[in-house]
Amino acid sequence: MVKNVIAAIFCCIGAFWFILGTAGLLRMPDIFSRLHPSTKCDTLGACSLIAGVAVFSASFWDILKLVLIMCFLLLSSATCGHAVGRSAVRNGIKPWGKGEEKR
Amino acid sequence: MDDFLTLVAMVIALNALICIYRAVVGPTTQDRLLAVNIIGTKTLVVVVLVTFIQAENFFLDVAMVYALLLFIVTVALSRYLEAEGWEETRSDG
Repeated sequence: MVKNVIAAIFCCIGAFWFILGTAGLLRMPDIFSRLHPSTKCDTLGACSLIAGVAVFSASFWDILKLVLIMCFLLLSSATCGHAVGRSAVRNGIKPWGKGEEKR
Repeated sequence: MDDFLTLVAMVIALNALICIYRAVVGPTTQDRLLAVNIIGTKTLVVVVLVTFIQAENFFLDVAMVYALLLFIVTVALSRYLEAEGWEETRSDG
């Protein structure tokens, strides 16, 4: 029972951060400002959801695989965000300034 | 608990559907790439949830391979776009 409650709390936190990341991806004005909310919220949401599901799970090997996926997501999500941002900079995309139109 | 996990999976799948808007409209190619990366992460989490909804262990292996493929696709595409941009600046100068 306590296990289920802890898992539900973690899953709710993860879904909340996913919704925030989607809002940032849709509402932000620029590629560089869009990278920030979407990458970070996605990392935190996925990691807390996987942690909640790992609390709920029973077998040792399942938990090991979930921890592996979580560690890999922590590494790869940040790397993906950095690679996308660097390719935007090197393609000559100008950052958004105050008072400009949304792009 | 299964019903709750199904609800969470449906919310996340709806989020992924909304993200398709940015992949279609996004003004630059990098926007589309970022949106595809985000949709991929959400799909990965849905696969992890489906593992526990259906009580089938092998979906976890699918999720691991999906995470690796997603990382490789994003990094390779962004490196490819970067090289394209470099060639353009070189021909300008």
